[in-house]
Amino acid sequence: MSVLTISSLTIKHREETLVQNIRLSVNEGDWLALVGESGSGKSVTASSIGGLLPRELIISSGRIHFGEANLLDLKEKEWQNYRGKVISYIFQDYQGAFTPFMTIGAHFDEMLKTHTNNSKQQRKERALETLKNVNLPEERVYKSYPFQLSGGQLQRAAIAMAMMLKPKLLIADEPTTALDSITATHVLQLISNLQQQTNCAVLFITHDLRHVRKYANKMAVMLKGEIVESGSKTSILQQPQHAYTKALIAAIPSLRSTKNRLVTI
Amino acid sequence: MINGFRITKPGILLLIGLFFITIIIAPYIAPFDPTDVKMGDRLKPISLEHFFGTDHLGRDVFSRILAGAQTTVGTSFLVLAISLLIGVPIGLVSGFVGGRLDRFLMRFVDAFMAFPDYIVAIILSGLLGPGIFNLVFAIVMVKWIGYARLARSTVLTEKQRDYILIAKVNGVGPMNILRRHMIPHVLGNVMVLATLDAGKIILMIASLSYIGLGAQPPIPEWGAMLNEAKAFFYNAPHLMLIPGLSIMVIVLIFNLVGDYLRDHYDVKNQNGGK
Repeated sequence: MSVLTISSLTIKHREETLVQNIRLSVNEGDWLALVGESGSGKSVTASSIGGLLPRELIISSGRIHFGEANLLDLKEKEWQNYRGKVISYIFQDYQGAFTPFMTIGAHFDEMLKTHTNNSKQQRKERALETLKNVNLPEERVYKSYPFQLSGGQLQRAAIAMAMMLKPKLLIADEPTTALDSITATHVLQLISNLQQQTNCAVLFITHDLRHVRKYANKMAVMLKGEIVESGSKTSILQQPQHAYTKALIAAIPSLRSTKNRLVTI
Repeated sequence: MINGFRITKPGILLLIGLFFITIIIAPYIAPFDPTDVKMGDRLKPISLEHFFGTDHLGRDVFSRILAGAQTTVGTSFLVLAISLLIGVPIGLVSGFVGGRLDRFLMRFVDAFMAFPDYIVAIILSGLLGPGIFNLVFAIVMVKWIGYARLARSTVLTEKQRDYILIAKVNGVGPMNILRRHMIPHVLGNVMVLATLDAGKIILMIASLSYIGLGAQPPIPEWGAMLNEAKAFFYNAPHLMLIPGLSIMVIVLIFNLVGDYLRDHYDVKNQNGGK
């Protein structure tokens, strides 16, 4: 079943076109990787899905369908029923993911309060359960302030919070860019586990084709604001059609052929 | 207690405690009525009966200093409270809503900022006529701007933070974001500015009273006392020295408290301003 369908989306900043004629479709249980170089419009596309574009950026045409609803028609009030509940986000910076003067528990509580009618006790139980599910010492983390936790713990807590209400779509905007590769693997494994538990769709934005190879089942390649190639991961990685995709794949360094120079695009 | 020019926590508590107790009980410990004129006792030097002597109308200066503390400090707190109540909400709205409203409000603020504080305050209280409430109004008109600007700039930097974006994508409504995720931070900054400002406001009240625009006789006020005493400076210098020193001490206390709070709220200084 299709969760998210974007059709002919064009986003402009004054006269300049940032993103043009984007088509994307994500189904339940999909892991769609959106790859491309910096400035190719990946993040702008991701922001437009959650209605997070800055005021200066205008969506000049296109539609973003989430189930039956066209997200572009939503009023600010109606957005609150989507954000956090059916669409959630994970970003790069986990250190800054929590308001410094609020406990982690207060963040979880606030989110549950916004979206559910649970009693105070139920909310606390649910938050603790969510934290436990990502292997955190739940009682201690619940009571802690962000600066009292390590980076790894904050990451887990941030991801747990994004997945707490079992969203239908998780948008992960370069969640591993700021991490070393071991931690990155942990984070992706965690997202992957949570995805299997909830069967949500993941829109995964990345530079790194290694992660795509391991976790995604679909991919789309963006270049200068347009999607130049999209389809199943295996077909694109094995038979890239577009010159840019070929160049991207060729640029992955390999452990086996150390004699070759790195390829640039 | 006082370590170089920094002050430690017990020191600060002691200072604040002593200070407020003195101000509150001032009328009860004053040995004389501060407005009681006794021409027979005029210009008496410092003695055991009159700790700070008497002024040109025979009023007890010690009692007048105590009563004047209530006037001066009370007025400055009134000014601070009103400035905060006007400035902070305007700054919050301006920064949070942004766009046209922000531009409109900030041009208004810029217009006020174009003139030096004292000039605006003197012109306003001059136009309105002398009197303590007109003085309060005049100083508020100068002071709310700083709070509006500070609140606005804090909100603007906070708005860029990831945790605000995350609160937004988690579905938290704009009013809750403002109330729970931003205002505590804004208030921290504002309180530090307020305590640092309290000293300046006291100076301003005293200076404007000194030139005759603030408290009118016979209300005891330190600036006005300085003004009355200047004619007798050669015969009774204590009449000027004592209100002057009182102003200095109180401004110093507020500055120390302000410094302490600034260090205390500084996130980078986790050991609490030692």
